Amino acid sequence: MTEQTYQRHSIEEYVVDSEPFYLPVADEIDIFEAAYAERVPILLKGPTGTGKTRFVEYMSWRVNQDRVKTGNPLSSLVTVACHEDLTASDLVGRYLLEPDGTRWIDGPLTRAVKHGGICYLDEVIEARKDTTVLIHPLADHRRLLHIEKLGEVIEAHPNFLMVISYNPGYQNALKDLKHSTRQRFVAIEFDFPPRDLEGPIIEHESGCNHETAQQLALLGEKIRNLIGQGLQEGASTRLLVYTGKLIERGIAPRRACEVAIVWGLTDDHEIQKSVMEVVTSIFE
Amino acid sequence: MTSAPDHSHVIAELEKHPAALLSAYEEAKDRVTSAIGPVSALKWAEEGVQLANLGARSWEAATEYYKASPLVVEIIGLPQFERWLESGAGLVDESPVVASSFFRASPSVLNTLAPRHIAGWAMLGSSLSKGTWKSSSLAARFFDISNDLVENVTFHELQLFVSLVQTLSNRSYDLASEALVLGQRVLPSVGEREELISLATVLAETSWREVRGSFEAAARVSLSVDRKLRRRYFSLTERLARSGMANVSAFMIESAASLARLPQEQQVVVLERAEELADISSEAVGAFLKTAPTVLERISTSQLDDWYQRGQEFLKENPDGGVAYFKLESQRAEQLLEALSSSIELDRVRGLLGMYANALAGTEVQLQSVSELAHKNIGWVSMELATTDGKNVFLPEMVDQRETKAENFSWLKVVTTHQVGHIEFNSFDFNFNGEAARFEDLRRRVADGIGAKPSATDVSSFFDMFPERALAADVFSVVEDARVDANLLQRYKGLKEHYYSVQEETLKARSPIHEMPAQKAMVELLIRLSLHQSENAQVPSQYVQQAQEIAALLRQVQDPLATVEDTAEATLRIYHLISQVPNEDVPPDEWEEADLSETEFSEPDAEAIVQNFQRQVEEGEEGEGGEEYESPEDVEYRGDFKPEMVQLLSKMKGQQGDSDDDSQEMAEGLTQEEIEQMLRDSSEVDFGDDAEVQQVASNMMKEAGSDAPDNPSGQGYNSLPHQDEDGGPLEPSEPRSFVYDEWDFRANDYRPRWCVVQERTAVAGETAFFQDTLQQYSGLMDQIRRQFESIRPETYRKHKRLPDGEDFDFDAAIEALIDLRGKVSPDDRIYWRRNKDERDVAVAFLLDMSASTAEAVEEGSRDGEWNAPGDPVAYTAWLRARRGETSRRPYKRIIDVEKESMVLLMTALEAIGDRYGVYGFSGFGRENVEFYVIKEIEEAFTDKAKRRLDKVAPLHATRMGPAIRHAAAKLAKTDAKTKFLFVISDGRPQDRGYSREGVEKEYAVQDTRMALMEARQSNITPFCLTVDRNGHDYLRTMAGDLGYEVLPDIMELPRRLPQLYKKITL
Repeated sequence: MTEQTYQRHSIEEYVVDSEPFYLPVADEIDIFEAAYAERVPILLKGPTGTGKTRFVEYMSWRVNQDRVKTGNPLSSLVTVACHEDLTASDLVGRYLLEPDGTRWIDGPLTRAVKHGGICYLDEVIEARKDTTVLIHPLADHRRLLHIEKLGEVIEAHPNFLMVISYNPGYQNALKDLKHSTRQRFVAIEFDFPPRDLEGPIIEHESGCNHETAQQLALLGEKIRNLIGQGLQEGASTRLLVYTGKLIERGIAPRRACEVAIVWGLTDDHEIQKSVMEVVTSIFE
Repeated sequence: MTSAPDHSHVIAELEKHPAALLSAYEEAKDRVTSAIGPVSALKWAEEGVQLANLGARSWEAATEYYKASPLVVEIIGLPQFERWLESGAGLVDESPVVASSFFRASPSVLNTLAPRHIAGWAMLGSSLSKGTWKSSSLAARFFDISNDLVENVTFHELQLFVSLVQTLSNRSYDLASEALVLGQRVLPSVGEREELISLATVLAETSWREVRGSFEAAARVSLSVDRKLRRRYFSLTERLARSGMANVSAFMIESAASLARLPQEQQVVVLERAEELADISSEAVGAFLKTAPTVLERISTSQLDDWYQRGQEFLKENPDGGVAYFKLESQRAEQLLEALSSSIELDRVRGLLGMYANALAGTEVQLQSVSELAHKNIGWVSMELATTDGKNVFLPEMVDQRETKAENFSWLKVVTTHQVGHIEFNSFDFNFNGEAARFEDLRRRVADGIGAKPSATDVSSFFDMFPERALAADVFSVVEDARVDANLLQRYKGLKEHYYSVQEETLKARSPIHEMPAQKAMVELLIRLSLHQSENAQVPSQYVQQAQEIAALLRQVQDPLATVEDTAEATLRIYHLISQVPNEDVPPDEWEEADLSETEFSEPDAEAIVQNFQRQVEEGEEGEGGEEYESPEDVEYRGDFKPEMVQLLSKMKGQQGDSDDDSQEMAEGLTQEEIEQMLRDSSEVDFGDDAEVQQVASNMMKEAGSDAPDNPSGQGYNSLPHQDEDGGPLEPSEPRSFVYDEWDFRANDYRPRWCVVQERTAVAGETAFFQDTLQQYSGLMDQIRRQFESIRPETYRKHKRLPDGEDFDFDAAIEALIDLRGKVSPDDRIYWRRNKDERDVAVAFLLDMSASTAEAVEEGSRDGEWNAPGDPVAYTAWLRARRGETSRRPYKRIIDVEKESMVLLMTALEAIGDRYGVYGFSGFGRENVEFYVIKEIEEAFTDKAKRRLDKVAPLHATRMGPAIRHAAAKLAKTDAKTKFLFVISDGRPQDRGYSREGVEKEYAVQDTRMALMEARQSNITPFCLTVDRNGHDYLRTMAGDLGYEVLPDIMELPRRLPQLYKKITL
């Protein structure tokens, strides 16, 4: 008899049930809650590793807290990481061919729409342009999902909310989010947290000691000063957390920074050296 | 015994000749008689007669003979006298003129010349005389100058010299006599005459110019080369000359100048190596001797061996490359030098540390060398001390104080960090009324107490309060430096190790405090405390109390919360303490070791401080007596801290820019006079006289003005400054200038940092030109536009066997159906879809703007063009342009066609949405490759670009390599998937110095080729299009395997360029 060591959920039934760690930087929680109450779709923009995904998880957990008390069914979180080959039917669903005919299966978006929950489309502009056809009617007053192949229109569950994210930094100008899409969302900007907030985040997430966390936050700040001067993106909070974890596992701080931050940031040897000088200044 | 012999026959004979002869005889007779006796005297007299009778003009020689005799005979005595006479007589036979000179020169020459050489001397003269008039006068000349030579030169050397002159005389008597004069002038001052003459003799065979040059250079050699080495130096030079080196004199001058820079023990080493090299290549010897001092500045004598050996090996493999190596015009040489050297050159780490500084400061900090700042003459004078002007950091050009490279780098890193620290921790944001974090604010009270008025900057308002400004400024500097250091160490733990070791060394190197007068000693103590002197602080016993208070004050500032305002407060208090210490010598037994680490900080009595200030102000600047206060020595790693100058300069800059910032109270501008007054007051600058103050003030105003934003463009096409070609790597000195290597194909290596590309925005003209061209080519334009628009749909391609798509892919669908019938799970990828392959193209066009593009082109039938457009608006534009054009130029130039083609292409490109940049290039010399921006790649196509294109005009030369490298660098920055570089030229690349001896044309072509290859390697597809009908010969080499086209008829360009573009980029 094999023991099941993992948790399996149907995609629309995945609920964030323990509180994720999230440290608010500004009023983003209030904004989200207000928008959620009105079911106004939300756009999270900001560079990679600034906590967008974590924020959605946290909010998904948070909006469920009232329901826990009242015993209402919990709202799920459906996350779709978009990539350049993601088509509309990947989201909506498709017919599967089977020996004795065909069978329709719903895509993740359809499931979220039917079941009611937060559908989070991460890095949405990476997806193919035909996905916008789906997003638009869902993201305005209509709240409808058209399933062309079935000839159906589904009205979204009252608890359904669309959240999308995008990173204005590294996509080129041609791949910008269309205005007609942008203007259907409330936008919450994410950026790297200030040093005095990032320190505690790193400390909490990585479990490293207070001083190391402070130093990592300082390093993050200094490296981000170089964005646009050789670096396209700064070191994300996520990378800093990883570094903290390595240090906590006994890797020498300078070495941990080198492998977790410097080499990941850029392939340009000169810039690597400069960043390394910053590292050696901060860490003994 | 007869009485005096009768001379009457002699007299009679002499009377036949001009009277001068007889009188010479009579004048000499008595002295000669008394010297040699009457009998010999008669013989003497008769000899004269014989001489006189030898020929038509021999009486002149006889006259000189008589005149010289009394002196000669007195010098050499009778037996020698006869030999002398014999020699003279022999000369008269040849030429009386020569003989005259011989006799005339004798009295003085024989003073020094050994009698045994008399005959030899005469022979030397005679050897020059060949019976012609010119040769005689040369020989005569020889005797005339003999005295100077004989006095300084051995007879053997004289012989050598004469034989040199003789060799020269075979070619030209003028040269020979010039050589005589030169010898007279130079030989006495040269020690190694034999060697020099021997060298000159070798040179005489090829070039007189070189003989003269070598003589002249020899004097310099004597001054520069160590005495013991000169002989070797000359024989080396001779060897080189023998091996056929051209331009020996230039070699001598250059090598002498460079050896002069070396001490004797290094001269030996260098010369030894040079001798070895002489076996391989004479050119390399010259190069090596010339660069050796530069090389030795960077590496030690023993490391020179390694460097030299590598060069020598290289030289054997590839002579041109080896020479370039020794000239330091090769990357290999530079790299090896860099690897060997323990010193750190700012240039090499500028990028690295620059980015580091940016990261720390959070603003864009540029690293520059301090000498650049000193040259600006805006108040900073030190050539060594690091400093900052609040925006940029200035560092020494070379750091070489430590043993190893790593240590030198650490030192420079500490220095850089400290300067950046002033920016990071806001040293220059001092606000007179700002609140201090660790002290009670006393500034206002003191200022009010003494009735001080605010000055133009906060720092000067603060310093103005102190009667002894220099003392206050010193204290402020030390305290602020200490605050910055403390902050840095607190924040950057990794720096600790280096920082402490630098501080420790600094401490050790400071002059003994005992020798300082008390007041200075107190400041010195402050410095030492700031450098973390922890134990054994020596304090004058009398002032231990004060020292303890100072230490406590300093600790307040070293708290991480302290701001620059705290520094000011601490300065006030410390000044209060130190200014009351008289600057008197302290006897050695009145010092004691004090523990300064314990004292608790307590706010001193504010009222006492205010009163003390008031009292000092009333008493005037005289302190408490003693010597005048003098600053202790600098702390090198902390450099030069000038908060007052920085605030003044930044205020001046603020004035120049927008005045809508928050400096309301200071809104009225500073006049030159006010600035001068501030400079005079400031203790941060020392001035000789008023003129200097004025100069600095006006330089500062210029500096402040030059920083005003948005003025890089519009420099216009001025004529170019001409600079020398010689010399090594260049530096980009101006903004928007860039340095590139150049490929030397003979050396098979890059010449490092060889060309400076100056980027400029092209001057804007009118847009009419653009409209006009479109009008003119409207038919063609339509056609091109249609062609280009058709590019788009072509990029759709059908993708099959997809899980989803526009429609069924029938093949796949049928297979799936068959599977279904067979009860097998089919593959569900049964759709097809058109996939738009995104066209993601960036292209840079590089237009040749060389002078040759001014050439007129033959125009075929252009009658169509004369038809005025029907549309009235277009017509007016057409007419205006027409008029403008005809009044300027009735013909079309190559560049005009280039421009027209660009108009069409740019319009077409707008239709397909490719990103593109348009640039022009020209220039003159490697220091000045001009690169004109007409449109940047990422810039939107606006009227600006149209206007700039209008003004594109023929300029100077065509150094293609650097222009291509620069354009490629721009392309490399874009993230397009496909990148192209189009070079449109009218001929081969050429420029001053864009060549190498013997392979002038080839060099430029090869560098251009290399530039194109480099572009290729960074994923850029280069393409060369030329309208030079003879373009095939060099384009084949230059771009053979890359892609090029020669357009036989330039008028085809407007049509062909878009076609080509389409063909290549699809």
